[in-house]
Amino acid sequence: MTDKFSRRDFLKLAGVGTATTAILTGCGPASRYVKREPYMLMPEYTYNGQSTYYATTCRECAAGCGLVVRTSQGRAIKTEGNANHPLNLGKTCARGQATLHGLYNPDRVTDPLQRKRGNVSAAKMDWDAAIQTVADAFKQYKPNEAAFLMGTSSDHLFDLVTDLCSRTGLNLPVRFGALSMFESRATLAKAAENLFGEAGLPFFDVGGAQVVFSFGANFLETWLSPVSYTRGFAGLREGQTKKRGSFIQFESRMSSTAGKADEWIPLQPGSEALVALAIGRLALEMRGGPLPRAFADIDPRTAAARSGIELETLERYAEMFVNSTGVLAIPGGAALGQTNGLAVAEAVLTLNAVADNFGKQGGVFFSPTAPGQEKYQRSASVKEMQDLVQKMTDGEIKVLFVHGVNPLFELPASLEFKKALDGVEQVISFSTFPDETALESDFVFPDHHGLESWGYQRVSTGSNQSALSGSQPVVSPFYNTRSTADVLIAAAQLAGGDFAKALPFKDEVEFLQEKVAPLLNEVDGYFSAPDINTFMASFQQYGGWWKNSDSRVIPNTADVFNRNLKAAEAEFAGEGEFFFMPFVSPTLAEAGANKPWLQELPDPTTTVMWNTWVEINPETAHELGLEDDDVVKIISEAGELEVPVYRYPAIRPDTIAIPFGQGHTAYGRYAEQRGVNPADLLGRHFNEAGDLAFAGMKVRIEKTGKKQPLSRLESIMGVYGVGLGEEH
Amino acid sequence: MIKRLIDWLKQPLGLIAVGIALLAVFSFAAYGISLTQQPPEQPVQFPHQTHVAFGIQCLYCHPGAAKGPAAGIPSQAKCWACHNQIAKTETSLLLAPLKQAVLSGQPLEWVPVAQVPDFVQFNHRAHVAAGQNCENCHGDMSKVTIAENPQVFNMGFCLDCHKQVAGDDHEKLVKLVDCGTCHY
Amino acid sequence: MIRPEEIKMSADESGKWGMVIDQDICTGCQACVAACAMENNISFVGEKDSGYGRSMHWIRIERFWEGEYPEVKMTPNQPMLCQQCGSATCEPVCPAFATVHSQAEQLNLQVYNRCVGTRYCANNCPYQVRSFNWRDYERPEPLSNQLNPDVTVRRRGVMEKCTFCIQRIHKAQDKAKSEGREVLDGEFTTACAQACPANAITFGRVDDPESLVSQLAKKRGHGIKHLEELGTLPNVTYFKGG
Repeated sequence: MTDKFSRRDFLKLAGVGTATTAILTGCGPASRYVKREPYMLMPEYTYNGQSTYYATTCRECAAGCGLVVRTSQGRAIKTEGNANHPLNLGKTCARGQATLHGLYNPDRVTDPLQRKRGNVSAAKMDWDAAIQTVADAFKQYKPNEAAFLMGTSSDHLFDLVTDLCSRTGLNLPVRFGALSMFESRATLAKAAENLFGEAGLPFFDVGGAQVVFSFGANFLETWLSPVSYTRGFAGLREGQTKKRGSFIQFESRMSSTAGKADEWIPLQPGSEALVALAIGRLALEMRGGPLPRAFADIDPRTAAARSGIELETLERYAEMFVNSTGVLAIPGGAALGQTNGLAVAEAVLTLNAVADNFGKQGGVFFSPTAPGQEKYQRSASVKEMQDLVQKMTDGEIKVLFVHGVNPLFELPASLEFKKALDGVEQVISFSTFPDETALESDFVFPDHHGLESWGYQRVSTGSNQSALSGSQPVVSPFYNTRSTADVLIAAAQLAGGDFAKALPFKDEVEFLQEKVAPLLNEVDGYFSAPDINTFMASFQQYGGWWKNSDSRVIPNTADVFNRNLKAAEAEFAGEGEFFFMPFVSPTLAEAGANKPWLQELPDPTTTVMWNTWVEINPETAHELGLEDDDVVKIISEAGELEVPVYRYPAIRPDTIAIPFGQGHTAYGRYAEQRGVNPADLLGRHFNEAGDLAFAGMKVRIEKTGKKQPLSRLESIMGVYGVGLGEEH
Repeated sequence: MIKRLIDWLKQPLGLIAVGIALLAVFSFAAYGISLTQQPPEQPVQFPHQTHVAFGIQCLYCHPGAAKGPAAGIPSQAKCWACHNQIAKTETSLLLAPLKQAVLSGQPLEWVPVAQVPDFVQFNHRAHVAAGQNCENCHGDMSKVTIAENPQVFNMGFCLDCHKQVAGDDHEKLVKLVDCGTCHY
Repeated sequence: MIRPEEIKMSADESGKWGMVIDQDICTGCQACVAACAMENNISFVGEKDSGYGRSMHWIRIERFWEGEYPEVKMTPNQPMLCQQCGSATCEPVCPAFATVHSQAEQLNLQVYNRCVGTRYCANNCPYQVRSFNWRDYERPEPLSNQLNPDVTVRRRGVMEKCTFCIQRIHKAQDKAKSEGREVLDGEFTTACAQACPANAITFGRVDDPESLVSQLAKKRGHGIKHLEELGTLPNVTYFKGG
């Protein structure tokens, strides 16, 4: 060959030769490239190629749905609902399905880490050193200098930490989750306390009702216990009482819950309390008799004018209260997340008194307290979080332990949690994933994923039965992670003294057994057992323990009508011309952004995937000269962000909405640098119950001249290629 | 550049070179194909014939075949249950890898011999239940050390048998030649 | 002996497996979509490709808008999946016989190993429920641990679509046969129906008048079969409700 035969030509020829060989030989079995490793010791009840099913509890939110996980050869393949479980009766939501993408997420924290705060790179540690670090932290600081910040699941760890703290004088653990912030749980509990003399989580029997009025409660999405409420909704429509029930939603933006309503009423934001009271008064007037104090002060005409709802419409709704049985009114969501949220919650709950549905089919109950639970415990309101942040900023907290929550993402930026961390000497995160808070911690001691963990979760609402949902590992830990309960127990032993006495357990399972042991003596259980080992076996097999009978509590309504209800209207902070309505993404919720299949799920109302959008009424968009995919800047008093426009036909012209769930700066490859976090726009405004007035902001819109195409499913129903710019 | 090469190839010497090159490619291919038909190298030269001669049933070590899709490789604990009690295990060179694997807790990496492609969903149970003997597909294991394939597992092999088994039973034939029976 | 070629194709088959979907109670929550993806090893394609309409959902929830603000309404959510037509338009156009009708199960099969990626079937499907693997979509380790061993992992250039969870059908049949009985109604169901929190999806034998699907279809009445007028003989019945 000539010397001009270049390397490039040689590669071409070689390529042809290789391809021919590959074609001619490639048809043989692929066996030589595969290796098979047998089990060292095959687990009991396992056969090669056959699946083993384990009952456990979903940890994607705090509801506590029972799962049955199909495993094959030691791998978790599929989550299915636990059909015996009284909360979800064999069903799951999308997040429960995608929990496997958390378990096998490529970006999990694989080892205990020590890092300089903010640095992505970190040094690996071994677990002995990690436990020593925790033990040192226990001993080094005074009890009131240590704080635990925990997520809303799992309850067993919360109980363990509570025991530890109360027995050693450490600050009691604080629980928080963005979902409970957007659910305004504190407001609901406070309203219940004010009306019924007892704080608790009301349970709304949607399934048994004939007419449901929902004031902003997005119970088909993420609210409280979506799987259970969806079942209730199906019951409403299929009509357990043989007639299709109707459903009316008051909300300034049509959520996917409102999309299922027969009537969607886009009322003036902030006027929910007025509307509820007006309907109540009109109904009571129609019925005749003396007007109770609660409804004495409201003028339906004013309410109609302020809310933008016709008086005739209000009268029509009032008639439903008079003429139908099984009328139910639900307060929730953005209606409570306003400065008058408590008044809204009280007004709407009182409306149920007009329907006289307390403790009746299709009415309002208190959720049964879980086994072993004395009274309702709720997670911290944002106001309570603010107190913690203040203590951190002031240097009163020297060591912070964070588990199961990502405050840097979930708390509004205006709370300045990041700045508060500077005041804390040592931050120890137990996060399974490299989230924003783990990145700003000195140590990350990764907990197992929920499917690798022991535990239990109290079913706080959604089930008629009092239930404790049990967790067990369905697969062995995939990485060098360790159960946080085990770490704390080991560290407490190492620290000695009061700490060792506080947690006198061999391991997490021994602690669990001690906690569930009192259930051995309970009657009316789904199963009973003579001793703890048999009990635990059944507890694992059935996925928890629950009572057979309906244990919902009928609220004490003696004084409901006699209260002075304030017909307060909400105040809105900021100068802008638009009401700002953040809502939780129904598919991602607070911690779903790192699961690729959740990202790929289209939003139920807009069908947008993989990004954040701002919903603007098409009419408004036209006036502002905005098209779909135009990037706009949203400015509130607390911050600003840039986000592409989605012209949403079912939103008030004076309101814009942004889903919460994206906008991570850490949290793995699928979440990072994707979309924006509407919590950045939220200021520090609260309602009377201490919940954040997240729907109490007004914002401005500015054009940026930029475009960012949103990926959406709906375009495939038209022509291929509509959606993203140039050919690719 | 390529053009000059083609010109060069057109002269007699070039043609011979092309011939040699083609021959080389084809013999390499033939060698490749023949490789696929040879039993692969295994971590242990497992003597199937010895085990069969001791009267151990196939299903003792591969019980999955009667229960589900995969016959499975026995766990090392199962091997050890017998070998632990056999004096030869201590001395035999052949058994050294097994002993080492069990004691060190490391898995032996077996290479599967009888394999179907990923897009075929094969179920042993149905075949065993239909009265097929292991040797119908896997050959007589009393004659081989490490397993060998007596034939290529291709679709023709499957279908020939399926059609024969169905015979005149129309319903059975429909089921047994349906694409969806194996491919999904 | 009958040869496979002699098996007759008849267009008026009544179907075997079918579904009833109640749009009135479907909340559009996407649980079915996620369950389907997890069960059937469906690839996620990322933001850019999904924007091109290349997402691989085997089932999707359609919703349309009616009217303008404030009289705007969202039409009942419509889960759209392969209708497993008795006389499918995708089948006759496949030059590779990769899109074929299963005589045994009365389903539209997609035989991945035969598929050469002409995409004729997808273009001829009036329901737009077929998705094509435009690339070998990345599934970074260890995500592959989740893959269902009962379902083939598809590669680039292959068409795919809902199979009515045929792997579950086979598993149930295999189990029933091993116990010497017929498959019972409700013994198993598809991943979407299993997950649906509202129980909006019911799956079963449409050729058995006693099955739950047949009973539901009879009880509710006024069921719609989409694009029935095209003569596709779809096996999914929808109830609009309301």
